[in-house]
Amino acid sequence: MTAMMIREVLAACIFAAAVLFGTAGVIGLFRFPDPYSRLQASALCGTTAVLTTCVGALLLAPSWAVASRVIVIIIFFLFSAPTGSHIVARFAWNAGTPVWRPDRLRTLKGRRKAP
Amino acid sequence: MSGMLFTSMQWFMVFCAVVCTVRLVLGPTAADRLVALNVMSGIVLAFLVLRGVQQGRHIYLDVALVYDIFGFLGFLAIARFLKDRLEHEEES
Repeated sequence: MTAMMIREVLAACIFAAAVLFGTAGVIGLFRFPDPYSRLQASALCGTTAVLTTCVGALLLAPSWAVASRVIVIIIFFLFSAPTGSHIVARFAWNAGTPVWRPDRLRTLKGRRKAP
Repeated sequence: MSGMLFTSMQWFMVFCAVVCTVRLVLGPTAADRLVALNVMSGIVLAFLVLRGVQQGRHIYLDVALVYDIFGFLGFLAIARFLKDRLEHEEES
């Protein structure tokens, strides 16, 4: 019985960390002024929170069949999420989205001519 | 205890998804919308994994893996479509 208890307590701490990362990322999504910095917030919320949730779920997995699949999902997610963020950054840069600078206006409406 | 953990985490994922939809609708530039899409595919994956492990059925986790693969491919297609439309716009 104690082994299950330890795993639940550990999973509870990891889920608390995931909630912390999630809320920080979500707040960052709205606070940051331009898409490039929002990418960092989205990576925090969309990659770290999901990763910690999957590790927490891995701890609570009832059988090895479930645990091994969660490990495969974690490995594949580690490949696909950062690549997705890279694609968004490349697209934003090629599309000429203006980069926020402290002296610029708070909201970005204009488009840069040449990247 | 673990049941309560799972359900609370799933509600948190639903909250994050709703907030990301707001970001998706609000986002001024197309890049913001892609950012929101990227986050949402990760959050839905986490929701599926939580659901799969809670029910203890490993078939749900296969669904989550395939969802992640196709979500990533779909995301690639959307970014590529937007890039082509952008080049077309600049030429004309």
